Amino acid sequence: MATHEQPDAVHFTLDGERLAGRASDTLASALLRAGTTTFTRSIKYHRPRGPFCLSGGCGQCLVRVNGVPSLPACRVELKAGMACERQNGPLGSVDSDLFRAVDFLFPGGLDHHHLMVQSRLLGKVTLEVARRLAGLGTLPDRPAPERQGSLRAVPLVVIGAGPAGLAAAQAALEAGVPEGAGEETRVLVLERNTSAGGAARLGLAGLGADDRGVTEQAQAARLAATPGAELLFRAEVVGLYADESPLGDALLAVRFQGRLLAVRARRVVLATGGTPQPLPFPGVDRPGVYAARGLLELFKRTGVRVGEAPHSLAVVGEGPELLLAANALLAAGYGLAAVIDAGGDAVAPSQPDGGLSVRRATPMRVRGNPAAELQVEVAGKVQQLRCDAVAIALPPAPLHDLATSVGAQAAFDQAVGGFPVHTDERGRAWPAWLFAAGTAAGESGAEALLSGAAAGRTAGGEAAALSAAAQAGGAAVA
Amino acid sequence: MEKAIVCACEDVSVHDVEVAVGHGYADIESLKRYTGLGTGPCQGKACTVPAARLCAKLARAPGAAHSPAPFPVAGQPPFRARPPSSPTTLAHYAFLPLEALPPPRAAAPHKARADRTRQRTEPHGAPAKDGAPSPALLAGLDQPGLPLTSNPLPERAEVVIIGGGIMGLALAYQLAGKGIKPLVLERSYLCAGASGRNGGGVRAQWTTPTLIELAKESIAFMDRFAQELGINIWLRRAGYLFLAEDDATVKRIEAGAALHRKHGLSTRVITPGEAGALVPDLDTSKFLAASWNPDDGVVFPWPFLWGYADGARKRGAQVETFTQVTGLDVEAGHVRAVRTDRGRVVCDRVVIASGAWSPQVARLAGIDLPNLPYRHEIASSEPLKPFLGPLVSNLGSGLYFSQSMRGEIVGGMGDPLEPPGLNQSSSLRFLTRYSRALTELIPRLGEVKFLRQWAGCYDVTPDHSPIVGETPGVAGLLQMSGFVGHGFMMAPAVARRMADWMTGAKDDMFDRYALERFAKGRLEHESFIIG
Repeated sequence: MATHEQPDAVHFTLDGERLAGRASDTLASALLRAGTTTFTRSIKYHRPRGPFCLSGGCGQCLVRVNGVPSLPACRVELKAGMACERQNGPLGSVDSDLFRAVDFLFPGGLDHHHLMVQSRLLGKVTLEVARRLAGLGTLPDRPAPERQGSLRAVPLVVIGAGPAGLAAAQAALEAGVPEGAGEETRVLVLERNTSAGGAARLGLAGLGADDRGVTEQAQAARLAATPGAELLFRAEVVGLYADESPLGDALLAVRFQGRLLAVRARRVVLATGGTPQPLPFPGVDRPGVYAARGLLELFKRTGVRVGEAPHSLAVVGEGPELLLAANALLAAGYGLAAVIDAGGDAVAPSQPDGGLSVRRATPMRVRGNPAAELQVEVAGKVQQLRCDAVAIALPPAPLHDLATSVGAQAAFDQAVGGFPVHTDERGRAWPAWLFAAGTAAGESGAEALLSGAAAGRTAGGEAAALSAAAQAGGAAVA
Repeated sequence: MEKAIVCACEDVSVHDVEVAVGHGYADIESLKRYTGLGTGPCQGKACTVPAARLCAKLARAPGAAHSPAPFPVAGQPPFRARPPSSPTTLAHYAFLPLEALPPPRAAAPHKARADRTRQRTEPHGAPAKDGAPSPALLAGLDQPGLPLTSNPLPERAEVVIIGGGIMGLALAYQLAGKGIKPLVLERSYLCAGASGRNGGGVRAQWTTPTLIELAKESIAFMDRFAQELGINIWLRRAGYLFLAEDDATVKRIEAGAALHRKHGLSTRVITPGEAGALVPDLDTSKFLAASWNPDDGVVFPWPFLWGYADGARKRGAQVETFTQVTGLDVEAGHVRAVRTDRGRVVCDRVVIASGAWSPQVARLAGIDLPNLPYRHEIASSEPLKPFLGPLVSNLGSGLYFSQSMRGEIVGGMGDPLEPPGLNQSSSLRFLTRYSRALTELIPRLGEVKFLRQWAGCYDVTPDHSPIVGETPGVAGLLQMSGFVGHGFMMAPAVARRMADWMTGAKDDMFDRYALERFAKGRLEHESFIIG
């Protein structure tokens, strides 16, 4: 696609072929920029796969980078000289993998539980074949370089610098969290992305800062300049554990600057937001089918639009998210081949917004590699809709996993579109040191901000009291 | 017809979900295990919601009332999330300052009966008003989800087996084959306990003759499991390699190998060089010798339970999940009935096969078992192309690891500081210790990523040997516990012999491993315990 060499070109290789991306690229955006849409082959049926969520929340864009297997291309920042290899194309290549035959030979699926159970001999042959086909990447080329981790303690950690997380941090600072032992930081905000704002950066009406006049970036900058606050970007919390040492209640494992940082905290506010969801219908896992929010994220960060010009999208979704996303994609320079409401018995959007024509239809199949056609059924008739790519617009599912892994409760809520973390009115989840706010707790829009402020205020106040008590009573406080 | 994929990581389709629900694997934990959805690199972030939506649709479909599960999806919890929340390399953890991390702590004291009752009176999965989790969560158990059946229990059963783990299910299968149709009661989903949480290692390398024979018979049964029970357990016999780091351990494995050969095993002690030929990436400077039995192997644990459960049901046994035992009625020194949250079942005999929970269950009949639960943590890596044949274990540190049929490196390592207690929570300390030990032996695993960690409880007896047979003072109450983390691999033979013994056959194992041995001081020490 990109044939003109840019002044800021960053060169890398894919399967030995030299490609150019830009300094602002992730590996995924650089590959998409270069017109590559098949990133890997799927683990069982060797179906072609490309990026879907573009935000580290699915497993469809794994690539071997500099000898390290299965890295999510959408989370790898492009560096000059990167040697990238696509995986799991044992026969032929990832672009034309003959093992795809498995997919066609077993159209109803390969039932591994009951495969060849009748014969001991055939069972053993099956085991040998299955063993050889298992796995995605191969062993890393070399041992890992040393990456000394460290441990620190702070009174309060806020996970996520989206609107709810920023509101929580601000409220906590106002609640007067005192300094932690040996640390100047009172409130540590950990954001896995390169900038603040979360979903508010994506240009979805009603979520964006423009509606309130202060951008999240400005808010974050102001917060970062406040004494006692510390904001880390590219800091991803990968584990949340209970800790009963006198120094803290929670123990977080944080990936930061290529190392693991263990953080002890008195209180934790989880404001992790949501993650894009697919809509299962035939062919929806093909390259060229993306999450609508993923496309917005990709465009905001790197300026890349997927598909051939005119970048005409078939947008399939449900509920208010469908119109929000379609409008935002339009504003990002995409064309709209069709906007399909697949909501079934859900309430249809009443007013097509900005002249968009929304059609109620059942998505039947995506065809083409990459996706070039969406088949839908309307009133018993199948229609073919040509497009340059397909976008799926469902509400992002609350990212509950850090909370539920330590025992917080979450329950399925069809209206929210996922499993929001259960909290009381002040945002407290379980264990007692854990709070949740924003999308992760099932709140959106203005409610998300309020939930963040409430959680921050309570968590901040408690962290302050605990730290004060610890200073007064020494290590006796548990 | 092109597949409609629900879980892209593991290639699970809409059809696969429908089939699993149709088979009764309808609660979200069982659905995850049976289909594999949510077990790949994204750990369920992009498939749990579509699966729940799909299940809601299935529940609304005509005829759904006749399916095994009514499937009330709204209000259900997700399957229990496991750290890390995104794949993270072993090296990240290995370089953490271990000494600064908190040591394992004792779990909160467990109030068995009060908890069980409370848990049932509140709707499963629904948050309590105070936001507090269920007692099951406090004990590190998975949220049980809503009960999936409301059929009444039978009023009477000849034999009630408490615990739907591998022991209870295998026994049910064997008893049903002899015309006794037992009732198996499982408090959660199948695979919720240690039987669904272990690494799948099966070996005949033990140091007591009884265990060697039990293991030999069991492995032979696993070899024909698919033909007999109709489901693949993927027994892969690529051997067990025990590494000895010091002279004392070398002497132990030499004595062990001599005993094994007496029992017809092909165990031999090999040099580090020979071990390095078996596992090319192993750092052979880290050990002095190794005990090698090429016939040991690894199975996929979950279908082992499902196969036995299906087999038992086909023979007329009844297996009831999500059913809590709340009491045991003993009259005139004889067990008379089992009380549950779904009613009382009159019976002649009760078998306690509840793993680490056996002491709690026994206490319902006023019996104290000497077993203690110990948490053992375990982790699974991203799926890699096959490079590791055998299960490798370091007898010194308790480290063990193997490569599963799906390509994941699955392994764990015991912690000498672990206090006793029913605790199934995960720790950062474990990942640090385990990844250090593992990358020391195979340095190239450093950049391999963990996908998830979890924990289960060993059911530990004072002499590391099981408790099977009669209970002094309570006639009809039978013990089948204390397997110290290896019941999984012994179950076929233990269950076969238990069923024979319960139907009149003589077997001195049930004297030697009887509960009364602890009172009489006749202990049976087993020393090849790992993990």
